[in-house]
Amino acid sequence: MDHAIVVEKLNVWIREDHVLKDIVLKVPQGYITAIMGPSGSGKSTLLRSMNRLVELIPGAKVKGKVKVFGKDIYTEDPYKVRKDITMVSQNPNPFPHMSIYDNVAIGPRIHKLVKNREKLDELVKWSLEKAMLWDEVKDRLSDPPTVLSGGQQQRLCLARALALKPKILMLDEPTANIDPVNSKKIEDAIKALVRDEGITVIFVTHTPAQAVRVSDFIAFIYNGKIVEYGLSRELALNPGHELTEKFLRGEIG
Amino acid sequence: MDARSLKEKIFLVTIFALTALGVTPVFYVLASVIYKGIEAFTRRGIGIIVKVNGGILPAIMGSFALSILSTVIGVVLAFVAGLFVAEFPNSRISKITKVASRSLLEVPTVLLGMLVYILLVVPTGHFSLLAGAIALALVMLPYVMVHVEQALESVPQIYREAGYSIGMSRAQVLFGITVGIAKRGIASGILMGFAKAMGETAPLLFTIGAARSSLPCSIMSPGDAVPLMIFQYAQMPQEYYHDLAWAGSLVLVIVFLLVFVIVRKLIKEVKY
Repeated sequence: MDHAIVVEKLNVWIREDHVLKDIVLKVPQGYITAIMGPSGSGKSTLLRSMNRLVELIPGAKVKGKVKVFGKDIYTEDPYKVRKDITMVSQNPNPFPHMSIYDNVAIGPRIHKLVKNREKLDELVKWSLEKAMLWDEVKDRLSDPPTVLSGGQQQRLCLARALALKPKILMLDEPTANIDPVNSKKIEDAIKALVRDEGITVIFVTHTPAQAVRVSDFIAFIYNGKIVEYGLSRELALNPGHELTEKFLRGEIG
Repeated sequence: MDARSLKEKIFLVTIFALTALGVTPVFYVLASVIYKGIEAFTRRGIGIIVKVNGGILPAIMGSFALSILSTVIGVVLAFVAGLFVAEFPNSRISKITKVASRSLLEVPTVLLGMLVYILLVVPTGHFSLLAGAIALALVMLPYVMVHVEQALESVPQIYREAGYSIGMSRAQVLFGITVGIAKRGIASGILMGFAKAMGETAPLLFTIGAARSSLPCSIMSPGDAVPLMIFQYAQMPQEYYHDLAWAGSLVLVIVFLLVFVIVRKLIKEVKY
């Protein structure tokens, strides 16, 4: 199995806090990997270490290596890293001063991915379709995103991230603030992306049920350390660690 | 009527009375400027607007030139400073700039005029519109800066993260996202500064020279401004000059109103 991301002995400090401790993780290419853990376990920081967004947190210090397709991202241009590994945040954050269309088109525009308007239109349509939002917004592409519901806004953010045609897509608790119907749409969209486009997906969640339902692999992180990592079904049925078992039963969270 | 609805009634009446008390002076001033201004124009003819000698054209032209010059100087400086303070809040320069700008808000504006008098009027040997514009730019600077800074700071962090998470550079996030979302706040700040500077008299006393019998031919020549003209004509004994002062006030109010309405219409509020 090829690995999209290989994390080697990663340590992250935020000011005095030692947030991530000796993280070793191999994210298989073309599958969905869930980073699961209770609040404050460092799962969001781990995600942000894999696209260098962690550096924007004041006082953050990173040691160790994160190799994406064999290259250490910490020796590369951070903006290029984030262009190739796009991320959807926990709270829907479409740009409120732009139209729905421009929210999706901004990535390809600033990175000059398309040559003309027709190609851009196609890309915007493709992204919105993949985010399962096209049918709901196709007649109001020039409206501001604030006319959409929270769940639709989150799918718009997914479309914005997809418009850069990333090989790796990251999502930070994408459904934490979304209703069940919209959550299901986002989960279905992610599965379809992996199946049809061969994208590698990494997402963070604090609900074991979602991790098991959506992902192929689960990394369980607790207190800044990876406690257990393996195939989702095996990890869920046969947890190899007491902490994992407790978390799956909902006793820590 | 029970006690609860009685309390509510009393509360409503009090609030209404206080509101009326609060807005009365505003409308009184506005109404008297409009009334007296129209009276002055009917008595002296609309022609005083375009009359150079014994009219208000030099003051209007001077104010026009000052508004453009001082806005260009003041807004550019204030925008850059506000951007810097909002974007690098933890740097020492930002902290010092913040304190300095807050203090500059409280400096009597006549002192700013005197500063420019020493720095520019004395070395060049004469009053000039440029000296006046620099003094007004200094008046405007802290107002615009504070507004720009607050408008940028009020943009939620999640939008910056959204920009970075699709590979935007720091400059692209700053100018494409943060400034874009805060544009209305920034525009209001610029307008506040503009209005504050355009209504100022004190910084001009030592800088532009009140040349009101001829039109200024360059930014280095002495000139006049509407507030300065009002201030000095209001102290004259002749009725004619009082009328010119009222006419000038009316023109000033109309121009402000137009600028405000147009800018606020052009720049829509960003909701989130």
